[in-house]
Amino acid sequence: MTTQRRVPLLSPALLALLVYLVAVPLALLLVASFKPSGLPLDEGWGVGHYLTVYGDPGFWKLLGNTLQFAIGCAVGALALGGGLAWLVERTDLPFKGASRVMIALPMVVPPFLLAMGWVLLASPRTGFLNQIARDAFGLASAPLNVYSMGGMVFVEVLALVPSVYLILSAAFRNMDPALEEAALASGARWPQMVRRIFVPLLAPALLAAAAYLTIVGFLVFDVPGTLGMPVGIFVVSSRIVYLATDQSGGTSAYGQIAAIAVTFLVLLLALAWAYRRLTARASRFVTVTGKGWRPRQLALGAFKPVAVALVLVYFLLAVVAPLGLLLWTSFTPFLAPVSLSMVERMSLAQHVAVWSNPRVGVAAWNSLWVSVVAATVVVAIAFAVAWTVLRTRQPARRTIDVLAFMPLAIPGTMIGMALVYVYLTLSFVPVYGTAWILVIAYVTVYLSFTSRTANATLIQIHPELEEAARTSGAPAATTVRRIVLPLMLPALAGAWVWVVAHVMRELSTALLLQGEDNATLAVQLWSYWAGGEPTKAAAVGVWLVVAMTVVTVLWQWLSNRSHRTVHG
Amino acid sequence: MVEIRGLTLVYPGATQPSVRDVSLVVQRGEFLTLLGPSGCGKTSTLRSVAGLETPRAGTIAIAGQTVFDAGGGRMVPTHARDIAMVFQSYAVWPHMSVAQNVAFPLEVAGRPATEVARRVREALERVDLSELAQRSATALSGGQQQRVAIARALVRDAAVMLLDEPLSNLDAKLREQMRVELRQLLKSVGMTAIYVTHDQEEALMLSDRIALMDQGRIVEAGSPRTLYLSPRTTFGATFLGAAEVIAVEGTRPDGRLDTALGPLHAAATDGPAPARLAIRPESIVLHPPRGAAAPNRIAARVVSAVFCGRHQQVQLECAGGRRLTAIADAHRAFAAGDPVDVELPQQRLIPLHEEPR
Repeated sequence: MTTQRRVPLLSPALLALLVYLVAVPLALLLVASFKPSGLPLDEGWGVGHYLTVYGDPGFWKLLGNTLQFAIGCAVGALALGGGLAWLVERTDLPFKGASRVMIALPMVVPPFLLAMGWVLLASPRTGFLNQIARDAFGLASAPLNVYSMGGMVFVEVLALVPSVYLILSAAFRNMDPALEEAALASGARWPQMVRRIFVPLLAPALLAAAAYLTIVGFLVFDVPGTLGMPVGIFVVSSRIVYLATDQSGGTSAYGQIAAIAVTFLVLLLALAWAYRRLTARASRFVTVTGKGWRPRQLALGAFKPVAVALVLVYFLLAVVAPLGLLLWTSFTPFLAPVSLSMVERMSLAQHVAVWSNPRVGVAAWNSLWVSVVAATVVVAIAFAVAWTVLRTRQPARRTIDVLAFMPLAIPGTMIGMALVYVYLTLSFVPVYGTAWILVIAYVTVYLSFTSRTANATLIQIHPELEEAARTSGAPAATTVRRIVLPLMLPALAGAWVWVVAHVMRELSTALLLQGEDNATLAVQLWSYWAGGEPTKAAAVGVWLVVAMTVVTVLWQWLSNRSHRTVHG
Repeated sequence: MVEIRGLTLVYPGATQPSVRDVSLVVQRGEFLTLLGPSGCGKTSTLRSVAGLETPRAGTIAIAGQTVFDAGGGRMVPTHARDIAMVFQSYAVWPHMSVAQNVAFPLEVAGRPATEVARRVREALERVDLSELAQRSATALSGGQQQRVAIARALVRDAAVMLLDEPLSNLDAKLREQMRVELRQLLKSVGMTAIYVTHDQEEALMLSDRIALMDQGRIVEAGSPRTLYLSPRTTFGATFLGAAEVIAVEGTRPDGRLDTALGPLHAAATDGPAPARLAIRPESIVLHPPRGAAAPNRIAARVVSAVFCGRHQQVQLECAGGRRLTAIADAHRAFAAGDPVDVELPQQRLIPLHEEPR
């Protein structure tokens, strides 16, 4: 039972804040798409941009590419990540502890670094694997080309596997084996049990994961930006970055960007709505009873070595090979084939050069404080959202819930674009071109994740714990300060670290909102890479991975602790 | 100590009220139990007293102070009411030690540290938890957590203690033990208590008075003895213990009541004839078959006898086809098909009157 709480000001203020963060940018984007000048406050209305965009065969190619990429990623990641989750959770795969780490570890690698690593491995001209193939088999042309739709999907799948693994292994773990045993005890044969019980029980989780992955496939910029953009294979997010940062286009392109963005947003919000429905259904199916059980495990038999090899190959492709080559490159004076002769020329010169560049120092500082401030603000808002949605009967709470969820489906590039409109329009708010606009953007981008984390945590805190404080004589504010916050703190701290880690590696929004001196480490790295200095980019990348690893270990530690406290 | 008048509570979005026009007075030092099936409105009534729900109509006064008045628009917030509450889930805060949990009400009341320490010590002694004071609250067993919750409520020294099914999460043995302890504890400090439960045995053993609730209303109220031995309503007779209910079809000139079991003598009542008669299975007496010659005796046949240890439960089919359940001595032997004479003793037949709906 939720109870009426008298916090008259909190919920309208929160609603106003969310409207400002989420609805206003989207509304201005929508308005801009109908303005001939492409700027929201200018004169006139028209559907000219839509006509231009839809009339251009390039747009339909873009839509096709994006769909192909998103669906390819979803299918690939679901197959590989789901397969690995099944191997770890439901078979007698050996070395499970190590396997879990090897499958989850790629999370610390920013996807653009993974893509750059794969450029070093499989670009047609200088790729390491291509060189080996040419030398070994005397091939005239390169067998691998990472600058392709296939290459993009392949690398993105490698990057998505850890997330799929985490979602689905939880689903596998939460399935009560008694449900399967009941089917077998009812006389069902194994195949019948799998078809009539196992798959239907798992279906909501699988569908939800598929919808989530498709959304992510629409949103991501890193991999298509690194691998597709240089050769003119565009998906929607890379197209927006390309159009927005292409100076020759001027402001006239803004209207077309807005029209493209609005079209894709409609698609994405529909997907997000489906995802929300599916996850609600999935949670109904999950039968968490809190009693410890061991899921039924299938004996792999002769396939055991194959399964172990699969895990190892994934780890090799997603971490060892790309990062190894990146590390190697950061020690070399120029991009050159891996060879013994180069070993003599290895030095720390690139690392020294990078860190003596004052711009890198500024960028590192920007990354640090922007991530810390954005994470703090967004976690505070997420707490207020969860509290309002779950613990009050404020009429605005459904709207607040939906507004906080929506950014899940809004690409960082579109939030970036929308913020450009907002702060070009509201020019009296002097944030355009500063790092503060990044803070605002990231608060919006990560609102969905953090508020869902806060929701999930608060829902596990029995309302009677708060009611006991109030019947002990504590007013609402004291109850929040002494009971609710301390109980949620580990989970909120976990979400905070997660946001810090993601802001530190975020590229597309930072690129779009780039100004005079608000570059982040990721943007600095990108400009080295795009500017033809891959060795310097590699050096920055190595340090970024180090920072990400530290932050991720911290996150793991905090989420384990939060699990213990809540379920204590 | 607590006075509830015309309380009506409707949850937002609900079509039916959860509490309908409930009025109740709890005396100082009285242990009152709200008893009823789940969804009868007993917990909602209790939460309204605590200020955790906002009723639609009625007034609530605690220790002479009006804390809620729908007409006057008065709603004293929970933390400002002179109450203490014990919850079903214990609601022991997992991030605090036992002593910190118990100290909380005193701390938020701004009591000086020395007084807090002394009163926490006293409260923990009362519930026999002194050695565990520094233990983390989550390291305790269910029964111990329940004691912490009770100590935390005692320490506030409130006008009334509200208890929402506090024993229902404990296992059967512990529950029985805590029942006795809880009553002794509250009586020893003279605490006024409102206790919510769906467990009839618990209500009978703990209470000074029971208010029986159904569908948001108080159906009847009285001491455990009165309510069990002479309920006035069918709901009262059947919810509190088992009862066979026999419809009364008319009155004979000699005062006997016509029923499906034949004419029955019942204890004389002043008013109009009762609508039904009820009898507890343990009040039904089984005699060897003699053709049911004596008053209130009916010829019957044994359908089945289930041996329960301290007694046996005998299913009977009476001459008219009506079935009855009787509790019989464990030593007697019954076989299916045996003829018996069933006696419904006149003094044990409980007259029931039509309950207002």
